[in-house]
Amino acid sequence: MYKIRSRFTKKGDLIFISHLDLVRVFERAMRRANIPISYSQGFNPHPIMAFATALGVGVTSEAEYIDIQLDEKIELNDFIDRINAVMPDGLKIIKSKYIESTEDSLMAILKRSIYLVKVNLISELKEEFIIEQLSKFIDNEEIIEIKEKKKKNKDRYKRERNKVQETNIRPLINELMLFSVQGKELILKMNLVTGSVGNLKPETVMRKLEELTEIPMLLDSVRINRLELLKEQKGQFVELMEE
Amino acid sequence: MSKLEIHDILYKVEKPARYLGNELNSVHKQIDEKTVRFAFCFPDIYEIGMSHLGMQILYHLLNSQENVFCERVFSPAVDMEEEMRKNNIPLFGLESREAIKNFDFVGFTLQYELSYTNILNMLDLGEIPLFSKDRGENDPFVVVGGPCAYNPEPIADFCDIVLLGEGEELLVEIMEVYKQFKNTDYKRVEFLEKIASIQGVYIPAFYDVRYNEEGIIEAITPNNPNAPQKLTKRIIQNLDEVFYPEEILVPYINIVHDRVMLEVFRGCSRGCRFCQAGMIYRPVREKGFDRLKYLTEKLLSNTGYEEISLSSLSTSDYSNLDKLVRHLIDDYEKDKVGVSLPSLRLDNFTFELIQEIQKVRKTGLTFAPEAGSQRLRDVINKGVTEEDLTNAVEKAFDLGWSSVKLYFMIGLPTETLDDLDGIKELAFDVVGIYYQTDKEKRGKGLNVTVSASTFVPKPFTPFQWEPQDGLEEIYSKQRHLVEKLKRKNITFNYHDAKTSLLEGVFARGDRRLSKVLAEALKAGCKFDGWNEHFNFSRWMEVFQTCDVDPVFYANRRREYDEILPWEHIDVGVTKQFLIRENEKAKAGELTQDCRTDCSGCGVNHGFIGGIC
Repeated sequence: MYKIRSRFTKKGDLIFISHLDLVRVFERAMRRANIPISYSQGFNPHPIMAFATALGVGVTSEAEYIDIQLDEKIELNDFIDRINAVMPDGLKIIKSKYIESTEDSLMAILKRSIYLVKVNLISELKEEFIIEQLSKFIDNEEIIEIKEKKKKNKDRYKRERNKVQETNIRPLINELMLFSVQGKELILKMNLVTGSVGNLKPETVMRKLEELTEIPMLLDSVRINRLELLKEQKGQFVELMEE
Repeated sequence: MSKLEIHDILYKVEKPARYLGNELNSVHKQIDEKTVRFAFCFPDIYEIGMSHLGMQILYHLLNSQENVFCERVFSPAVDMEEEMRKNNIPLFGLESREAIKNFDFVGFTLQYELSYTNILNMLDLGEIPLFSKDRGENDPFVVVGGPCAYNPEPIADFCDIVLLGEGEELLVEIMEVYKQFKNTDYKRVEFLEKIASIQGVYIPAFYDVRYNEEGIIEAITPNNPNAPQKLTKRIIQNLDEVFYPEEILVPYINIVHDRVMLEVFRGCSRGCRFCQAGMIYRPVREKGFDRLKYLTEKLLSNTGYEEISLSSLSTSDYSNLDKLVRHLIDDYEKDKVGVSLPSLRLDNFTFELIQEIQKVRKTGLTFAPEAGSQRLRDVINKGVTEEDLTNAVEKAFDLGWSSVKLYFMIGLPTETLDDLDGIKELAFDVVGIYYQTDKEKRGKGLNVTVSASTFVPKPFTPFQWEPQDGLEEIYSKQRHLVEKLKRKNITFNYHDAKTSLLEGVFARGDRRLSKVLAEALKAGCKFDGWNEHFNFSRWMEVFQTCDVDPVFYANRRREYDEILPWEHIDVGVTKQFLIRENEKAKAGELTQDCRTDCSGCGVNHGFIGGIC
């Protein structure tokens, strides 16, 4: 049994396919590329592979990761070439390496994500004003996100309202900075907690920014690009495949 | 033509991957002035349309032709339509993202009567005039085909061209004729006159329909010298030689039938009297083992699919089934490719095969006795017995199944409450058999699902003259069954009788229904086959506005000598045969399987020649 860890990108029209669709694209690509993938046991055998984290529909990414288990060892370059040859435009494996089968899963090591988020402003703003607004935002000790929890039990006789869950998202924001502003186009860079300890989406940060700051923006126009996924290694946050 | 900008609205709609158009094996061609543009439209959402084998075949067939570019179009979901209308984006071909109003042909496949409003809505969204008579020289030709095209009369006024029968040869012939016209200074009518004499082509505008005072058809007469008196369907003689795609579109999103569909034969020799497919697709023509073996290899390697389904009207009747299934298992088990066999019959149910298939993937079990009593099963010529069912179920439970689905129809001709009680008895018998099965062997948690759809008489069947049960009759039959089937382990589902009524109206409708459809579009009717969109009272208002009585079409008994709206169309089975079958139904007499004994339906005269 062999395990390959790979980094890939998701761009162009392919950003509109969901995580489940992506799983199917990979499964079928493996078959077409004749990759000797391992299958699970049982009535419905499926290829053994695991992703680091799901990417939202509509989000571009430079840094997605997947572990794939093989029955036979094959040359890494051959693996990359064969898969890329059958992948749709927009999905591309950038690098791969063999890992020990005992190695922690991608999901377990993932700690943070870095995003670029583009949004259209309603009116042009000065750079200094935006920086000031962002630092005010980040100075809040608490930024409360209210989430309605849909009730699982659909009992029509109970007229209770859906429960509301309040989360402080401030501790999940590691960094929030101005990347660029040109005319009405604002680009922010953010480093957010991701993975098993917590998960903050850039959309949520944008919604809170719109609500709590004086930066007037069109939330409809938000476009997100994931730049990196990071793990913690010797006190440093580094790219997931770093040795 | 310019490419429409849809990127920004894709962020706002559900399942945007429906609208990308760049799926695996999709075709993208260079377009120049010689390119014939064909929009293959499926009047339902992507997940339904992409599951349709006919679309996969014709899409790749048309694209295999030089200078023809066929693109797909599905009904946009309600949210997408809203965004498109808001942003003035007309309906477009998925591959090129160009408006279909600028195409040469806009083709619709007619699979289901309740999709007719979607066709009109798509024309409207496509900015194409609804009525054929209102289309100008620069508008595309609207062409329809598929099973409902055998009685296209309710939508005839919206169509320029109707194609009767199997399309693989016919479509290519029409494209060839059109290539001679394209880029010349021709009139629409000249092209239509040119193709009107091709077998299988029906130009509705070339025929007049006259009605008498009671609203019954008096005559259907050609009004153009190029239009034949009698229209005959097209048929493919040799299924091994006919085009079949070696690669099929593989969607990103999960669709209804998400697998390789391998057609093993066309037609059905059983002769069930309620079944339109069994009549209109005659005669039986099989694909040979070697051809199927070749296609399987190509299709699986070009798609990466993990499942293959053997498709036909009655797959257990395929003469090489055993050999084929064993081949699939032997050659593809290592790749974990599952095999699914839809449409198995109770009487030749091959459990050995099913067991083989289980080695790879577990499938559910569905049986379709169709009617509850032997008497009624004989009336419809279903030809299966209670023993067939109990034997099959015994074996199934013995092999570890615990969940069985039983399909029935209610509202069949001559049906009484006794026949309905037969449904109850069959279901209870199945429960009994389960408890008699060895506890060690049977699966846990028995679940018997009984589904009852409402019978809708269809053109070109022996029941085409029969009245459909009225709403009240169906309701009371459904209530009867709900009461009778109250039992632990039995789930009873039944179909909404209102949609069946509407289906019945349009199945046997005539040209006067086109104004009803146009009015229904105005009233906002669409996606009528979807429970959440279907609005019965709105439909009844539309009928009233148009002064059309649905009862006249659905619930009226026709005389044998009445001129039916589809009288000018010949599908091969003769009227005499259908009358004979209807009389035999009333007497409860069976008709043999055509392979045992020719029943003289007429399809071997003129269509295929000699024996079937």
